[in-house]
This record gives sequence, structure tokens and C-alpha cells, in this order.
Amino acid sequence: MRILIIEDDLEAADAMQRGLADAGYECQHAPDGEEGVKAARDGEFDVLIVDRMMPKMNGVEVVETLRREGDGTPVLFLSALGEIDDRVVGLKAGADDYLVKPYAFAELIARVEALSRRRETGAVATTLKVGELEMNLIARTVHRAGTEIDLQPREFQLLEFMMRHAGQSVTRTMLLEKVWEYHFDPQTNVIDVHISRLRSKIDKGFDRPMLQTVRGAGYRLDA
Amino acid sequence: MRLPRLLRTTPFRLTLLFLALFAAAAAAFLGYIYIATAGEVNRRADKEISREMESLQAAYRLGGADALNQTLVERSLGERPFLYLLMTPDGKRLSGSIEESPVADFGDAREKWTTFTLTETDLDGAEVKRPARGYQVRLEKGEILFVGADVGESESYVMKIVRALWGAGALVIVLGLAGGVLISRNVSRSMAGLAEVVNAVRGGDLKARAPVRGARDEYDELAEGLNDMLDRIERLMGGLRHAGDAIAHDLRSPLTRLRARVEVALIEAESGKGDPMKALEQALEDTDGVLKTFNAVLAIARLQAAGSAPDPQTFDAAELASDMAELYEVMCEEKEQTFEAEITPGLAIKANREFMAQALANILDNAIKYTPEGGAIMLRLRRRSSGDVEFSVTDNGPGVPEADRPRVVERFVRLERSRSQPGAGLGLSLVSAVAAAHGGRIELSEGAGEYDGRGPGLRVAFIIPPLG
Repeated sequence: MRILIIEDDLEAADAMQRGLADAGYECQHAPDGEEGVKAARDGEFDVLIVDRMMPKMNGVEVVETLRREGDGTPVLFLSALGEIDDRVVGLKAGADDYLVKPYAFAELIARVEALSRRRETGAVATTLKVGELEMNLIARTVHRAGTEIDLQPREFQLLEFMMRHAGQSVTRTMLLEKVWEYHFDPQTNVIDVHISRLRSKIDKGFDRPMLQTVRGAGYRLDA
Repeated sequence: MRLPRLLRTTPFRLTLLFLALFAAAAAAFLGYIYIATAGEVNRRADKEISREMESLQAAYRLGGADALNQTLVERSLGERPFLYLLMTPDGKRLSGSIEESPVADFGDAREKWTTFTLTETDLDGAEVKRPARGYQVRLEKGEILFVGADVGESESYVMKIVRALWGAGALVIVLGLAGGVLISRNVSRSMAGLAEVVNAVRGGDLKARAPVRGARDEYDELAEGLNDMLDRIERLMGGLRHAGDAIAHDLRSPLTRLRARVEVALIEAESGKGDPMKALEQALEDTDGVLKTFNAVLAIARLQAAGSAPDPQTFDAAELASDMAELYEVMCEEKEQTFEAEITPGLAIKANREFMAQALANILDNAIKYTPEGGAIMLRLRRRSSGDVEFSVTDNGPGVPEADRPRVVERFVRLERSRSQPGAGLGLSLVSAVAAAHGGRIELSEGAGEYDGRGPGLRVAFIIPPLG
């Protein structure tokens, strides 16, 4: 998978590039907005990581330009501007996700994975299947190895999101954002409690746990 | 020479301007009155003189110069207010009540009007000059007849009116000037009070306040507005200073800890001892903690500085309350606390949804954190009788002593017994900042009270105005 990093802070870009390369991604770097737009036009990328404040052309302009030209590549904004209004501006410009600096690298990887995955699954599925776990989105039922698992509506949504991102790390912030649709900073481990309840329902009584805790990042659902 | 300060004030200049306008108007008015009345006096005199002249001419036509002479003598002796003079064609006096004609340069003219001054000696022997009008006509056989009338009486009335008007004008101007000076002094005194405050503040004295005289006029309003603004600025400045100190204080210890940990890890790694991985993980965790504190401080500072919440949307408060109840209920279950929610549906509010969620989350977090296992927590959403929308969270934990309640809302204030709990003491300050940014407030009060070895508990109410 190819990622274009448009970032004027060379050290930050270098760290990001190394980290992403380590995670198995192929990276290219553009040091400012204009270069970034050029590189994005020329190359085929799966995800763009765009800094918001850059010389020559800022991140919002870069994304607006690319979207105007019909480029639909998923964009992850990186910004030191982390307030809610900044987020709104970023998302309105056409970005798909927004990450505030300084960020945890695990968070970056998780979000990049989620963005690249979303592009692959275009078809509307009625059932999701991860290993022996099966989810029927119409009947809203879940089975693991043939045994029906009874879930609360929110637990169902939580599991659905985990299944759609099976094999990927998913952070607590992402879960709060995507499942509860809130974006705030819970002071306590409230998401962990929800996950642990879900885990007790889908893993209890089975010899192999599917819902994994990823240290320093969040959770991952493995087949 | 520079004008005295007072005379340079705007009110005084306005007074002068109005006085000038008034004076011009008064002058025009006076002129008109003079022309109208004085003209009228002359016209009336002329009419009477003409009538007299006609009757004399009638007598002349009937009886000639002798008859006219006779009539003149009779009339001069009577009570008539006219002056008569009959002259030969070459201007010699024949008879009449005056010695010579005031008409200068009559020549061959048929008739002529004139205005002249009549000099008389009054009872005290003083000479009195009075204005008069006269009409001189050459009769058919050449004799010259003059009839005049004293218009002094009427004219003096006019002059009296004119003089009174002049006097009134002068009085108005004097009073106006005095009033202008008074008003200017009054105004400039009020303005000077304000200017003094502005200068003091510019000089760095944020404690200076404008005097409010209690007159409830626009100056008081301005002074109150200025004082409110200064209060707010002072509060913000104080908040900033306090935040700076508090950030320095509260971030210094975790940063020092972090630094020490990294340093020790380096030393240990060099000598091949210890677990650098573990040290790095610990360092990462410490960094996250610092960042969290930092973000919260930043959010509070920005909310307070902006004075209003960004990106407000209209939504159902009940939905938010239910979401938060659903999110936090499991937390209570983990701690074996009873959780109850009593949510009034359909209360629309206009607010920033994320900040509202953050505020409610902080309140619930606190309640769950400080209420011991087995306690009870209740989330309630209702409309107050005032119309305000109130979210409240009541617990039956140890509560907060009344004296400490105002303090716990301040940034970084943590009560002694909560020191052992994680957190930076920013939770309620953020809640309070969110409430204020939405035009609301938070209220802390006692919970359900002591019962069964529990309590008294704490009730945190988050109150914001309803939509519209």
C-alpha cells in the first residue's frame, strides 16, 4: 500500500516515514503543499497524510484542490490545530479523518489502516464474517461457531465496527468517534469497559479469544 | 493662547454652535418684526394723513385758500393729532401749527411724503425728539399744504417690543453660555473619570474602576460597561496567570519524572541492566498523561478566551443524556454502583455537542470515581421552572464540604483526599468553562444527604439556557 506524506517538518516526516515503512507501507514524502499536489497527481496512492499548516499551500487548500480535480484518495489530516472548529474546517474541506498533533503512532497507523480499508470495501454487505464469527446485518444476529450471541444494540455496533476492521488495530478514540459518534477525551477507561463486556460475550466459553488488546494502541479482532 | 480645557469640550462647542444658530435666528426674527410693525405704524399714519389731507383739500375746493386757512386754524386748536402748514406757492408760511415745512427740496413736485424728526419741549422743559411722517401737496392755485403726524407714540411701542426682544435674546445667550459651561463641566467631569480609568488601565493598573454616580444615565451605563469589561479582562488575566503557574507546577512534576525515567533507562541500558522497553513504555504513558493535562488546560483557556462555544448546533438534550447514560452505566456496573437515569425527552438546546458530551462525561467520571463501591449515581435531565435546561448528576459518595465547593471548580484545585486518585483537577473547571461558554453555569450542592452510613453525596448541576 502506498502512502503520500505531505509535511513540511522534515524530522516529523522522517519519523513518520520510518514508522510506516516498519509497518509495511510504501511511503513518499512531499515537503510542501505544491509539491504534495504534484506528487498526488502523478502517483497512485492509497492514503494521503496531510499536514494542515505548510508553506506555499496549506493542507486545506491541498485537499480542496485535489477534490476539485476529482481525486478521491482518502485523506488524513495531521494538525497541531486540534480544536473542534478546526476539525470541522478540515473535514468540510474534504478530508476523511483528522488527527491532532502530537499523536500516538499507533493511532496514526490505526487510522491509516481504517482509511485504506474503507476504500477496498465498496460493496454493501449484508453479512460480515471473521473466522468463526458471523454477523447478519439485516436480522441483526451474531453467531460464533454456530452459537447465537445476544448483544445489546451498542455492543452490536461495536462488534460491527471491529469486524469491518478485522485484523487492524482500532484505538479507543476511534471507537468513541465511530461507534458513539462523539469526539471528546474520556478521562477514564470507559471504552475499555464496553470492550471488556463485548469480549466476555463473544470470547467466553471459547478456547481462543478473538478480541485482542493491542498494547499502547487499542484493540484488534482476529479471525 | 489655548482655550481653557472646558471650552474645548464637545458639549461646550455644541452649546456655542447652537447659540450661534439661535442668535442668527433671533436676529432674523427681530428684523422681521421690526419691519412688519414699524412699517405698519407708518402705513397707518400715512392713511390717516391722506384722509386728513383729502378733507382739507375738499374745504379748499369749496372755499378756496381762505376757507382752508379758516379750517386749519380751527383744526390746529382742536384735539387733532396732526401738524398743519399752509404756504404760499413760493414757500412762505401762511398759517398752521408748525413754523416751517420739514419737506426739503419740494421744487415743482405735486406731492411728497417724508419722514422727519419732531423736536418738542415737554412739560419739564427738556427737548424731546419724536419721529413723524408728513405729506406735502401743491394745491390747484399753487399754495402748498403740509399735513404731518406724530408717529412717536406708536413707534415707541414698536421700539419697546424690539428692545424687549433684544434683551430676551441677550439673556438667552448669556443663560445658554452659562448652561453650556455647566453642562460641559458636568460632562467633562464624567468623561474625565472614565479617561482616568482608561489611562490607569493603560498604565497597567487592572484594578482601576470607573466611578458610577448612581444617576443611571448614559455615563453610568458607560462606566458600568467599562467596569464589567475590566472585571472580565482582570478575570481572564488572572486566569491566564493562574493557568500559567498551575501548568508550570502541574506539568513540572510529571515532566521531571519522565526525564528521570528516561535518564535512568539510558544509564541502565548502557550497563546492560534493566529493561529499556519497559522504561520506554512508562515514558510513553507519562507523556500521554502530560498531553492530556495540557489539552484540557488548552481547551479551558480557549473556551474562556472565546467566551462562546464554537460550532453550536441544535439538538435534543435527551439524546445526549441517554448517550452518556449508556456510555457510563457500564462503568457503574463495574464498580457495583447503582445507576439511574431520569431524562425528560424533547428538550432542544443549541450547543456544541462535543463540549457538552465532554462536560457530562467529566461530571459522570467524577461521580463514579469518588463514589465508593456499592454507591448510587443518578443522571437527571429536566427543565427548570425558569425554563433553563438542567443536567444533574447526584451521587451518595463522600460529597464536597460546602466551603470547598466554589474552589473545586477552579483549575487544578484538588481536594486533599482526592490526591490519591488519578486526574489533574481540571474536570470541573472544564465543565464550568463549557457551561459559561453556553451562557450557563454549574451548581454544586449536597446530594441525597447522609443515609445508611453513606453520603452526604454531591449533586453537580449543569444549567444552560434553552433554545430560543
